Amino acid sequence: MMAAVGAPEVISQLESAAKVLMAPPSMVSTEQRQHAEHIFLSFRKSKSPFGVCKHILETSKVDYVLFQAATAIMEAVVREWVLLEKNSIESLRTFLLTYVLQRPNLQKYVREQILLAVAVIVKRGSLDKSINCKSIFHEVSQLISSGNPTVQTLACSILTALLSEFSSSNKTSNIGLSMEFHGSCKRVFQEDDLRQIFVLTMEVLQEFSRRENLNAQMSSVFQRYLALANQVLSWNFLPPNLGRHYIAVFEATQNVMLKPTESWREALLDNRVMDLFFTVHRKIREDSDMAQDSLQCLAQLASMHGPIFPDETAQVSYLAHMLEGLLSMINGIEIEDSEAVGISNIISNLITTFPRSVLTALPSELFSSFINCLTLLTCSFGRSAALEEVLDKDDMVYMEAYDKLLESWLTLVQEDEHFPRGCFVQPAVQVFNSYIQCHLAAPDGTRNLTANGVASHDEEEINELQEDDRELFSDQLASIGMLGRIAAEHCIPLLTSLLEDRVTRLHGQLQRHQQHLMASSAPDSVDRKVLDDLYEDIHWLILVSGYLLADDPQGETPLIPSEVMEYSIKHSTEVDINTTLQILGSPGEKATSIPGCNRTDSVIRLLSAVLRTSEVESRATRASLIELLSPQMGKDIVWFLRRWAKTYLLVDEKLYSQISMPLSTAFGADTEGAQWIVGYLLEKVINNLSVWSSEPELANDTVELLVTLVEKRERANIVVQCENWWNLAKQFASRSPPLHLLSSPIQRTLMKALVLGGFAHMDSDTKQQYWAEVLHPLQQRFLNLINQENFAQICQEEAVKQEIVATLEALCGIAEATQIDNVGSLFSFLMDFLSSCIGLMEVYQNSPETVNLIIEVFVEVAHKQICYLGETKSMKLYEVCLTLLQVYSKNNLGRKRLDVAAEEDQYQDLLLIMELLTNLLSKEFIDFSDTDEVFRGQEQSTGAGRTVSAADVVLFGVNIVLPLMSQDLLKFPSLCNQYYKLITFICEIFPEKIPQLPEELFKSLMFSLELGMTSMSSEISQLCLEALSPLAEQCAKTQEKDTPLFIATRHFLKLVFDMLVLQKHNTEMTVAAGEALYTLVCLHQAEYSELVESLLSSQRDAVIYQRLADAFNTLTASSTPPTMDRKQKVAFLKSLEEFVANVGGLLCVK
Amino acid sequence: MADADLDFTTGDAGASATYPMQCSALRKNGFVVLKGRPCKIVEMSTSKTGKHGHAKVHMVGIDIFTGKKYEDICPSTHNMDVPNIKRMDYQLIGIQDGYLSLLQDSGEVREDLKMPEGDLGKEIESKFDAGEEILVSVFYSVYLKLEPLTLQIAILLIVLFILGSTNFYFVLFPPLQITVLSAMNEESAVAIKAMAK
Repeated sequence: MMAAVGAPEVISQLESAAKVLMAPPSMVSTEQRQHAEHIFLSFRKSKSPFGVCKHILETSKVDYVLFQAATAIMEAVVREWVLLEKNSIESLRTFLLTYVLQRPNLQKYVREQILLAVAVIVKRGSLDKSINCKSIFHEVSQLISSGNPTVQTLACSILTALLSEFSSSNKTSNIGLSMEFHGSCKRVFQEDDLRQIFVLTMEVLQEFSRRENLNAQMSSVFQRYLALANQVLSWNFLPPNLGRHYIAVFEATQNVMLKPTESWREALLDNRVMDLFFTVHRKIREDSDMAQDSLQCLAQLASMHGPIFPDETAQVSYLAHMLEGLLSMINGIEIEDSEAVGISNIISNLITTFPRSVLTALPSELFSSFINCLTLLTCSFGRSAALEEVLDKDDMVYMEAYDKLLESWLTLVQEDEHFPRGCFVQPAVQVFNSYIQCHLAAPDGTRNLTANGVASHDEEEINELQEDDRELFSDQLASIGMLGRIAAEHCIPLLTSLLEDRVTRLHGQLQRHQQHLMASSAPDSVDRKVLDDLYEDIHWLILVSGYLLADDPQGETPLIPSEVMEYSIKHSTEVDINTTLQILGSPGEKATSIPGCNRTDSVIRLLSAVLRTSEVESRATRASLIELLSPQMGKDIVWFLRRWAKTYLLVDEKLYSQISMPLSTAFGADTEGAQWIVGYLLEKVINNLSVWSSEPELANDTVELLVTLVEKRERANIVVQCENWWNLAKQFASRSPPLHLLSSPIQRTLMKALVLGGFAHMDSDTKQQYWAEVLHPLQQRFLNLINQENFAQICQEEAVKQEIVATLEALCGIAEATQIDNVGSLFSFLMDFLSSCIGLMEVYQNSPETVNLIIEVFVEVAHKQICYLGETKSMKLYEVCLTLLQVYSKNNLGRKRLDVAAEEDQYQDLLLIMELLTNLLSKEFIDFSDTDEVFRGQEQSTGAGRTVSAADVVLFGVNIVLPLMSQDLLKFPSLCNQYYKLITFICEIFPEKIPQLPEELFKSLMFSLELGMTSMSSEISQLCLEALSPLAEQCAKTQEKDTPLFIATRHFLKLVFDMLVLQKHNTEMTVAAGEALYTLVCLHQAEYSELVESLLSSQRDAVIYQRLADAFNTLTASSTPPTMDRKQKVAFLKSLEEFVANVGGLLCVK
Repeated sequence: MADADLDFTTGDAGASATYPMQCSALRKNGFVVLKGRPCKIVEMSTSKTGKHGHAKVHMVGIDIFTGKKYEDICPSTHNMDVPNIKRMDYQLIGIQDGYLSLLQDSGEVREDLKMPEGDLGKEIESKFDAGEEILVSVFYSVYLKLEPLTLQIAILLIVLFILGSTNFYFVLFPPLQITVLSAMNEESAVAIKAMAK
């Protein structure tokens, strides 16, 4: 070992450098600081610094220098491992440990750093059979048994450091060794040493849990060991055999479920372990920090699964013991605030981890007490969560715990066929009731009541960004809705009667206000409190009803939930269908005033209750009481009706094995009920749109209800028979109040609905008349306007601009309404406008928002229609898009954007242009156009003079976009994603055009690809990789060497090679990278061999060399010589997967 | 001055100085009268008081004459005044004593507009001296009942177009924010004629 020659000089140099680094910023210059940093960096890189470091540790008094010395030792040991004598390593480790032991007053960060060095040495040595590092456990256990708290703390620090080092997580230090090394270390460690640590920890906990009185110091030691136990139980166990995902071992350690290997059976599958943690928790539960750890340990134990259980019986008895412990823990105590989340985690882990068969195999008494306990706990957390809301607490622990428990309920009852029939009904009733109670005002409920029963009611400002309750609490509502279905027998009638009662009260209240208004001219001193309480009650009742009665699945036909259907069927014999229809059809009357109202179908009755609410609202608007109404309630009503209509209206009997008579009689196809309700909904929509134009969200929900009514042909057929529908169409076309007051997105959706309705079944005269009402006025107004002599003068006037904007919005709405069977007529209609729109681009070039809207029309048309268009029509669209791009480009020439720090929405036009190009390209992937021979013939004859192709348009577009896309702009996520999507598409679809790009553009394209591959998100990296294969294939096709593209692909070969072989990458990317690599290898075989050679020659270890060489041989064995052949490529990809699993870990270094 | 379009005291024929619009129908980048001043809306958001309250619209506007910021919050059902904003294009035919001589389509010449100060003015002057053709667009509001003397301040923005040149400018004319400009108006007219067919 190097003698400490010149050590004093080194020390004084380091100490003065440390002084510079520690000095306040004002005292030293940047250069001084950098110089000082440099001194430490080069010190840490110095060869065999062990002697000097020891000397420093023993003599220096500067903590920072001590810290650096420890770091230097750690780095040097790893660096020079193979050169070092084994016993000198051993003595170094002993030295460090002794050093720490002898200096109990070391700064914490210095001590931890030295222990880290110890842990790294132990880890590095663990695979080296020649050196024995096991002794450390012996030493540590001696330290623990010393009984001295300081020493015990130190022992805990050593174990913690070891654990972090061996976990191969992001906590592990960077020591420049392969992933395979880290993986093997972890595997060896978890089979033996980790268990030893666990056993040691358990002993300490055992010891402490027996003691009566713990002083502060001891309790702090206790806490550290508890945290250590938690760390062990949260260990992310590496499975015994090398999986192919093994390469990604450096995972983030969050929410790991406990899945120990079989060898842990004895240590963990022991009831005493669990009991100990329950005991520990009981002891320390008042200390909120420690309680979190002990509960987390229990939660980890509750998540235990995998090979540790020899069979299901073992699992059952483990779970039974767990539940017993849990129940006796919960039942004996009043839960502390800090325990709520932990306890709910235990329960949630139990329910998610253990299979249903294990749950059902539990002794039935135990199972039912567990369910009882869960029920009580859920209700109690729910109440506490409500209190938290009233008090407006920052830290909503009960809300979090309540969410967890409700989620667990959902998991439980979703597979309730495994459990005894009806076993969840009573619990469901209780949880449901308590939810409703918490959300209703006094006296029925407890909403806004503080713990001592005082009502709090302050009106807060709510901004537009705040989510609506239906989204904010969607998870809770989904669970409560599900529980409501389980206990439909109780819950549906409950909701109905509560809602009917509130509606009656609301009606009365509004009437009183109206009378007051009529009686006195003085402004009504309305007490909003009573009304707001009613609105809030109704709000929650409608939300729960909506979630109970129907689901809102995306993209599939929602079905009536089977529980609801069964419930309706079960009672259908007692139901009087006529009275039911009467209740449904008379929303203006009080339900209970209708004779025989007790013999009605409850599901229909609940809908009727919402319709009654809606009717009270509508009547109030007619009585000019709109000021008194709640727009929130208005939203709730149309939201509910939309959700309901999607599922129940024109119920399709074919979709159900059994159907309820009342439901099919009231809402089935060709029923009066269905017709009536469509008419009613339409009237509601029209009323809302005229009175609520000032409430954008309500108007939006309303117009979405309208879309729902017409987007299905069956419903639309009924809608267009209503006179109201035609009135709406005419009114909208005339662009007069009140509809033109609606905000533009709503007008757009309204247009979409009107167009969709036009494709309902109508005789041809009617249809013609319909379009004459809906579309022609739009065209007429537009043409009249732009053909005016003085259009150039008036075009900037607000009123004119507004008319133009309204037209453009309407065009977007029309495009959005495109479906396969209407695309023909809509396309011709829109095409007439598109060329005029280009003219507008010139007129409004200085009005960016108008320009954006014009481009948006093109984007929408391309997005919705191109996939259906035949050749001639596509070409027309390409042509007009090309003209648009030309105008855009001309207007942009020399235009400077305001400043680089500008906001994303300043680049909206660029984003839209890229979207347009991508949409145009998408035809190459998705094409539904008619390829029927007959049409084809026609198309070809007209399309003979083919002038513009998609490639022309897109490449022209790229010429515009590429120069504008700076690296700064790529920082905006939306621009970045759209840009890469676009260039990948282009490379894939028109690889032959890439070499023809002007040099500058070509360069920037290649640079973009490289940038995207190496320094963007994995999604973008994948896109870029996908772009490489077609480019390489293109090169192979032309067989020209030394073209810029050929040279570029050579560069990419190296990049992809490094990426696959040397870097840690996402396993999902292996396929994309593999395909790219293969085609690149085909193209540049010699370069590939060079890369392999140089990689192999850099390996010093003969064994590794051989393994790598073999692996590379196998990799290309199936494809020698490599040719661009699908079969060979597939074979290569398969070998690559094995290659990565086999040696990937060898080369990827941390 | 015989130009009816420039009669600020009465507003031009047929168009009133302002017209009402429901608050919820206003748009960002549009115009509105805030606290008695014609403003361009630069920010718009809605809020409500309490869950069951009615929507209120919060607007931030920039006075098109002075550049001052105005804010207002009002019920979304409220009708707001929207100023009539107009735009006129002129050809620059001369510069005299710091005033521009502008030729209108009608053939009349307007000489009451002061040359913008600062770099922009210098630039106009040098381009004009170099014989380049310069088109000036003037935006103005008929909103304010102004004394004829203060007419000049009603000019919002002077926009420069230099025909036959690829130089385009961001023109900052105090009180307004920077506006991006480009290209020629002649072509717009052509485009519109093409559309009419």
